[in-house]
Amino acid sequence: MTHEEVMAIVTRIFRDVFDDETLVIKDSTNSSDIEDWDSLEHIALIVSMEKEFDLKFDIKEVNKLANVGEMVDLIISKL
Amino acid sequence: MNEYRYEEIETGHKESFTVTVTEEMMDSFRTMTGDINPLHNDEEYAGSKGHPGRVVYGMLTASLLSTLAGVYLPGKRSLIQEVKIKFAKPVYIGDTLTVEGVVEEKHDVYSLLMLKVTIRNQNGEKVCRAKMQVACEET
Repeated sequence: MTHEEVMAIVTRIFRDVFDDETLVIKDSTNSSDIEDWDSLEHIALIVSMEKEFDLKFDIKEVNKLANVGEMVDLIISKL
Repeated sequence: MNEYRYEEIETGHKESFTVTVTEEMMDSFRTMTGDINPLHNDEEYAGSKGHPGRVVYGMLTASLLSTLAGVYLPGKRSLIQEVKIKFAKPVYIGDTLTVEGVVEEKHDVYSLLMLKVTIRNQNGEKVCRAKMQVACEET
Protein backbone atom coordinates (compact mmCIF):
# COMPACT_ATOMS: atom_id res chain seq x y z
CA MET A 1 0.00 0.00 0.00
CA THR A 2 1.16 3.52 -0.72
CA HIS A 3 1.53 6.27 1.88
CA GLU A 4 -1.61 7.93 0.47
CA GLU A 5 -3.65 4.72 0.63
CA VAL A 6 -2.69 4.10 4.25
CA MET A 7 -3.32 7.76 5.08
CA ALA A 8 -6.86 7.47 3.69
CA ILE A 9 -7.60 4.53 6.03
CA VAL A 10 -5.89 6.27 8.95
CA THR A 11 -8.03 9.35 8.33
CA ARG A 12 -11.18 7.21 8.49
CA ILE A 13 -9.99 5.71 11.79
CA PHE A 14 -9.35 9.19 13.21
CA ARG A 15 -12.82 10.32 12.12
CA ASP A 16 -14.39 7.26 13.76
CA VAL A 17 -12.46 7.58 17.02
CA PHE A 18 -13.09 11.32 17.36
CA ASP A 19 -16.59 11.06 15.88
CA ASP A 20 -15.87 13.95 13.53
CA GLU A 21 -16.42 13.46 9.79
CA THR A 22 -14.83 16.81 8.99
CA LEU A 23 -11.47 15.99 10.54
CA VAL A 24 -8.58 16.63 8.14
CA ILE A 25 -5.46 14.60 8.88
CA LYS A 26 -2.04 15.42 7.44
CA ASP A 27 1.45 13.96 7.91
CA SER A 28 2.25 16.79 10.31
CA THR A 29 -0.87 16.34 12.48
CA ASN A 30 -0.08 15.57 16.12
CA SER A 31 -1.89 15.51 19.44
CA SER A 32 -1.68 19.28 19.88
CA ASP A 33 -3.79 19.75 16.72
CA ILE A 34 -6.82 17.79 17.96
CA GLU A 35 -8.34 18.97 21.23
CA ASP A 36 -9.73 15.56 22.25
CA TRP A 37 -6.53 13.63 21.48
CA ASP A 38 -5.67 12.61 25.03
CA SER A 39 -4.00 9.46 26.32
CA LEU A 40 -7.22 7.40 26.23
CA GLU A 41 -8.04 8.40 22.66
CA HIS A 42 -4.44 7.65 21.74
CA ILE A 43 -4.93 4.11 23.02
CA ALA A 44 -8.18 3.88 21.02
CA LEU A 45 -6.33 5.01 17.87
CA ILE A 46 -3.51 2.49 18.28
CA VAL A 47 -5.91 -0.39 19.01
CA SER A 48 -8.05 0.56 16.00
CA MET A 49 -4.97 0.68 13.72
CA GLU A 50 -3.87 -2.75 14.95
CA LYS A 51 -7.28 -4.20 14.15
CA GLU A 52 -7.70 -2.45 10.80
CA PHE A 53 -4.27 -3.37 9.45
CA ASP A 54 -4.03 -6.70 11.31
CA LEU A 55 -0.66 -5.92 12.87
CA LYS A 56 0.92 -5.49 16.29
CA PHE A 57 2.75 -2.46 17.57
CA ASP A 58 5.42 -2.42 20.22
CA ILE A 59 4.97 0.15 22.98
CA LYS A 60 8.49 1.52 22.40
CA GLU A 61 7.90 2.25 18.71
CA VAL A 62 4.51 3.79 19.44
CA ASN A 63 5.99 6.10 22.07
CA LYS A 64 8.55 7.41 19.54
CA LEU A 65 5.92 8.62 17.04
CA ALA A 66 5.92 12.39 16.62
CA ASN A 67 3.05 12.79 14.18
CA VAL A 68 0.59 10.97 11.93
CA GLY A 69 3.08 10.77 9.04
CA GLU A 70 5.42 8.71 11.22
CA MET A 71 2.49 6.54 12.27
CA VAL A 72 1.66 5.87 8.60
CA ASP A 73 5.31 5.01 7.87
CA LEU A 74 5.38 2.62 10.82
CA ILE A 75 2.22 0.91 9.57
CA ILE A 76 3.68 0.54 6.05
CA SER A 77 6.86 -0.97 7.50
CA LYS A 78 4.77 -3.71 9.12
CA LEU A 79 2.51 -4.60 6.18
CA MET B 1 -8.86 -10.29 45.63
CA ASN B 2 -7.36 -11.70 42.44
CA GLU B 3 -3.93 -10.47 41.42
CA TYR B 4 -3.71 -11.66 37.82
CA ARG B 5 -0.86 -10.42 35.67
CA TYR B 6 -1.63 -9.52 32.06
CA GLU B 7 0.33 -12.52 30.79
CA GLU B 8 -1.66 -14.90 32.96
CA ILE B 9 -4.99 -14.00 31.38
CA GLU B 10 -6.08 -15.58 28.11
CA THR B 11 -8.88 -14.59 25.78
CA GLY B 12 -12.02 -16.37 27.01
CA HIS B 13 -11.04 -16.11 30.69
CA LYS B 14 -14.20 -15.73 32.81
CA GLU B 15 -14.84 -14.49 36.33
CA SER B 16 -18.14 -14.03 38.15
CA PHE B 17 -19.62 -13.11 41.52
CA THR B 18 -23.05 -12.71 43.08
CA VAL B 19 -24.59 -9.83 45.03
CA THR B 20 -28.05 -9.33 46.57
CA VAL B 21 -29.32 -5.74 46.40
CA THR B 22 -30.46 -4.48 49.82
CA GLU B 23 -32.37 -1.49 51.19
CA GLU B 24 -29.11 -0.34 52.80
CA MET B 25 -27.33 -0.28 49.45
CA MET B 26 -30.12 1.91 48.05
CA ASP B 27 -29.88 4.25 51.06
CA SER B 28 -26.11 4.52 50.76
CA PHE B 29 -26.32 5.19 47.03
CA ARG B 30 -28.91 7.96 47.57
CA THR B 31 -26.71 9.54 50.23
CA MET B 32 -23.63 9.42 48.02
CA THR B 33 -25.23 10.69 44.82
CA GLY B 34 -28.15 12.86 45.97
CA ASP B 35 -30.41 11.11 43.44
CA ILE B 36 -33.82 11.43 45.12
CA ASN B 37 -35.83 10.47 42.04
CA PRO B 38 -39.11 8.87 43.20
CA LEU B 39 -38.75 5.87 40.89
CA HIS B 40 -35.99 4.71 43.25
CA ASN B 41 -37.35 6.13 46.50
CA ASP B 42 -41.16 6.10 46.50
CA GLU B 43 -42.91 2.71 46.48
CA GLU B 44 -46.24 4.22 45.45
CA TYR B 45 -44.77 6.24 42.60
CA ALA B 46 -42.83 3.22 41.29
CA GLY B 47 -46.08 1.21 41.48
CA SER B 48 -47.88 3.85 39.42
CA LYS B 49 -45.26 3.30 36.72
CA GLY B 50 -45.99 -0.42 36.63
CA HIS B 51 -43.19 -1.66 38.88
CA PRO B 52 -43.69 -4.14 41.74
CA GLY B 53 -41.45 -2.01 43.97
CA ARG B 54 -38.81 0.70 43.95
CA VAL B 55 -36.46 0.36 41.00
CA VAL B 56 -32.80 -0.08 41.88
CA TYR B 57 -30.60 2.73 40.58
CA GLY B 58 -29.11 1.68 37.25
CA MET B 59 -25.82 3.18 38.28
CA LEU B 60 -25.85 1.12 41.46
CA THR B 61 -26.05 -1.99 39.29
CA ALA B 62 -23.37 -0.49 37.06
CA SER B 63 -21.11 0.08 40.06
CA LEU B 64 -20.70 -3.70 40.27
CA LEU B 65 -18.51 -3.40 37.17
CA SER B 66 -15.99 -1.67 39.40
CA THR B 67 -15.93 -4.75 41.63
CA LEU B 68 -15.64 -7.07 38.64
CA ALA B 69 -12.52 -5.33 37.36
CA GLY B 70 -11.02 -4.23 40.66
CA VAL B 71 -11.45 -7.47 42.58
CA TYR B 72 -11.88 -10.27 40.04
CA LEU B 73 -10.71 -9.55 36.48
CA PRO B 74 -7.86 -8.75 36.60
CA GLY B 75 -8.19 -7.68 40.24
CA LYS B 76 -5.52 -5.69 42.06
CA ARG B 77 -3.72 -4.39 38.94
CA SER B 78 -6.85 -3.12 37.16
CA LEU B 79 -7.34 0.37 35.79
CA ILE B 80 -10.76 0.93 34.21
CA GLN B 81 -10.47 3.12 31.12
CA GLU B 82 -13.85 2.87 29.40
CA VAL B 83 -17.30 1.44 30.03
CA LYS B 84 -20.28 1.12 27.69
CA ILE B 85 -23.40 -0.13 29.40
CA LYS B 86 -27.00 -0.99 28.55
CA PHE B 87 -29.74 -1.49 31.10
CA ALA B 88 -31.93 -4.22 29.63
CA LYS B 89 -34.40 -4.85 32.48
CA PRO B 90 -35.23 -3.21 35.81
CA VAL B 91 -33.65 -4.48 39.01
CA TYR B 92 -35.59 -4.52 42.30
CA ILE B 93 -34.54 -4.55 45.94
CA GLY B 94 -33.90 -8.15 47.00
CA ASP B 95 -32.81 -9.27 43.54
CA THR B 96 -29.72 -11.44 43.48
CA LEU B 97 -27.44 -10.40 40.64
CA THR B 98 -24.74 -12.49 39.05
CA VAL B 99 -22.04 -10.43 37.38
CA GLU B 100 -19.97 -12.28 34.78
CA GLY B 101 -17.07 -10.90 32.78
CA VAL B 102 -15.28 -12.62 29.93
CA VAL B 103 -12.13 -11.43 28.18
CA GLU B 104 -13.06 -10.89 24.53
CA GLU B 105 -9.83 -9.31 23.36
CA LYS B 106 -6.32 -8.58 24.59
CA HIS B 107 -4.10 -5.78 23.27
CA ASP B 108 -0.48 -6.29 24.26
CA VAL B 109 0.75 -2.82 23.30
CA TYR B 110 -1.02 -1.25 26.29
CA SER B 111 -1.76 -4.44 28.29
CA LEU B 112 -5.48 -3.95 27.71
CA LEU B 113 -8.32 -6.34 28.41
CA MET B 114 -11.61 -5.89 26.57
CA LEU B 115 -14.31 -7.42 28.74
CA LYS B 116 -17.84 -8.40 27.80
CA VAL B 117 -19.97 -8.21 30.93
CA THR B 118 -23.39 -9.68 31.60
CA ILE B 119 -25.43 -9.12 34.76
CA ARG B 120 -28.34 -11.52 35.32
CA ASN B 121 -30.97 -11.64 38.04
CA GLN B 122 -32.00 -14.73 40.04
CA ASN B 123 -34.34 -15.75 37.21
CA GLY B 124 -31.51 -15.77 34.71
CA GLU B 125 -32.80 -12.64 32.99
CA LYS B 126 -30.17 -10.32 31.57
CA VAL B 127 -30.61 -6.97 33.35
CA CYS B 128 -27.44 -5.34 32.15
CA ARG B 129 -24.90 -5.71 29.34
CA ALA B 130 -21.61 -3.90 29.19
CA LYS B 131 -18.24 -3.64 27.47
CA MET B 132 -15.25 -2.56 29.48
CA GLN B 133 -11.72 -1.55 28.57
CA VAL B 134 -9.45 -2.33 31.48
CA ALA B 135 -5.70 -1.91 31.62
CA CYS B 136 -3.72 -4.46 33.62
CA GLU B 137 -0.87 -2.55 35.19
CA GLU B 138 2.54 -4.19 35.54
CA THR B 139 3.08 -3.59 39.25
